[in-house]
Amino acid sequence: MMIGVDHLTLTRGNFSLSRVSFMVPDESYTVLMGPSGAGKTLLLETIGGFHGINEGRITIAGQDVTLQPPEKRRIGFVYQDYSLFPHLTVEDNVSYGLRMKGISSSSRKETVHTLLSSFSLLPLSHRYTGSLSGGEKQRVALARALATRPSALLLDEPFSSLDPETRSSCMDEVKTIQSDHGLTILQVSHDREEAFRLADQVVVMDKGVILQAGLPTDVFFNPGHRTVASIAGYENMLEGTAGPEREGMTPILVGGGVIFADGSFPEGDPYLACLRAGNITLTRPDMSRDELVPWVEGKILSLMVTDQGYRLRFDGPFPLTIEVPRHLSSGPVYQPGEKIRAWIAPEDVHLIPLSGECRNRGPGS
Amino acid sequence: MAGSHERSGGFMSFQGRSNQKRQWFPGHSLIAFWIPGIILVGVILLALLVIAIPVLRNPEYLVSAAADPAVFQAFLVTFLAGFCAVGILAITGTPLAYALSRSEAPWKGLVETLVDIPLVLPHTVAGLMVYLLFMSRGMLGAPLGELGITFEDAFPGIVAAMVFVAIPYYVNAVREGFGRVPVQLENVARSLGATRARMFWSVTLPLATRHILYGALLAWGRAIGEFAAVIMIAYFPMVISTLIYYRFNTGGIAESQAIAFLLILLCLVLFFLFRFLTRHAGVYDDRS
Repeated sequence: MMIGVDHLTLTRGNFSLSRVSFMVPDESYTVLMGPSGAGKTLLLETIGGFHGINEGRITIAGQDVTLQPPEKRRIGFVYQDYSLFPHLTVEDNVSYGLRMKGISSSSRKETVHTLLSSFSLLPLSHRYTGSLSGGEKQRVALARALATRPSALLLDEPFSSLDPETRSSCMDEVKTIQSDHGLTILQVSHDREEAFRLADQVVVMDKGVILQAGLPTDVFFNPGHRTVASIAGYENMLEGTAGPEREGMTPILVGGGVIFADGSFPEGDPYLACLRAGNITLTRPDMSRDELVPWVEGKILSLMVTDQGYRLRFDGPFPLTIEVPRHLSSGPVYQPGEKIRAWIAPEDVHLIPLSGECRNRGPGS
Repeated sequence: MAGSHERSGGFMSFQGRSNQKRQWFPGHSLIAFWIPGIILVGVILLALLVIAIPVLRNPEYLVSAAADPAVFQAFLVTFLAGFCAVGILAITGTPLAYALSRSEAPWKGLVETLVDIPLVLPHTVAGLMVYLLFMSRGMLGAPLGELGITFEDAFPGIVAAMVFVAIPYYVNAVREGFGRVPVQLENVARSLGATRARMFWSVTLPLATRHILYGALLAWGRAIGEFAAVIMIAYFPMVISTLIYYRFNTGGIAESQAIAFLLILLCLVLFFLFRFLTRHAGVYDDRS
């Protein structure tokens, strides 16, 4: 394993990282996710050696670096705003690390030239960094971080300040660099799409604690915690109690209604039923559909047009947020206050046990 | 086509009117801000004029002051002591300012208060403190006296007084400058292999240059203007403020006015030169 964090505990002001443990495998791309204030940047900076810790161990490339200063850890760090040195040109920024490591001027020039060339930065080499675009800044930051051949790269939301187009191409670039150089990357991100596109592993944390780690599909389709489910895009989370199993489905009693989930769950146990807004189908009450799919009736509270279609607030036996794609709603548009039927397929309901909120998709999954 | 030209012409003329309006509006609204400012600047200008007009009416006082070796010596002592004070502050105050800008220690506030003390004390009290500390039997004066450095009625005494009163001016300005250098830049520098010391010299210090220069200018200005604290430890050799006071008491207003006018003139030239020479210092951008 390339980066190992073992029972890391640290307190800064009122915030604590508490017994944080996870691993970043060699040559893998790990995305660290969590809500704002979860402690992601603090954790990344602590791995970088910028904060002392109270307890625990950090290893990089098999070496215990817990007590080593940042300059000895052989990591590259890229911040959200890229933190380029404004008093140095692009070339001097890229060669900074080599100068600090005492590399001779000739081999420094050679390395910097190669890097500037491979990052298409040669025409900008004598420019100061203040006048560069977001994408250019990011390329300089990456070239600078890679110049010293670090064991691992730590990236703190490197794509968040880019416009959508640049962002997409930069993501591809970083992924290519990672594969080409066989780099180990640990990146902080808020974005699910980013994680899906880049990550070999996703680690989710909140309030200084790791909640879940695993393959992106595993974490996003099988969340074991309310926060993970929220990050995974489950917008509807309803607390309920499991009823007696019927024909391979378990009814979850939520408020005045029932949601059916696939599988068998212990009767009487409390669960958090998670549903994606886009997985709920809407019809008018008089329209029939697959009778095997359970439904609930209610009315539309509000309706908002989005680039994908419509987004509705539904009030029935329990409140729901529902997304209707434009092609499905090409018929008569729903109106606020209109009576409506929401069809919820049992296979789209993900249950999280509320006692302990541990990882559990349910039996048989 | 004609219609389109008309529309375009109409649009252009509308833009023109809109621009005029936009130019007029902010200028107009700024007047409200300029008026109180002009009152302040006017007071400074009037103060300069009450010194300058009589001196320029009777230039013989100015000529004799400019040719007076005592005046020349006082200027030399004042400016030299000012530079020494700033030098000492740069060596001791810069690390302190950095430590204060980065520290999260609970006792940081106490150190900041101590640094500000010379700012709030009457200058005579500051002078008394400097005298008691650096007099020949003083806590610092005695051991340093054994090393051959005397402070009472000596150049080092003037420097000590100047350093003491200028501490907050330098330290606060430089601390502000260090505070504006993002910690992330320092973190990146360290991740790239720089030790804390090399990071400080290669990243933090260059980026705080403007504030360091500004702090030095403030401290120097404060130092050369000090009177009360200086005369309490070192009446001699006379600094320019002591000489002006002395000539005011012995030679009258006209004589002291002439020296004061010379001081103002020199300071204006030096301050202007300093600002001109450092106008690009610490500014890094190649945007045209």
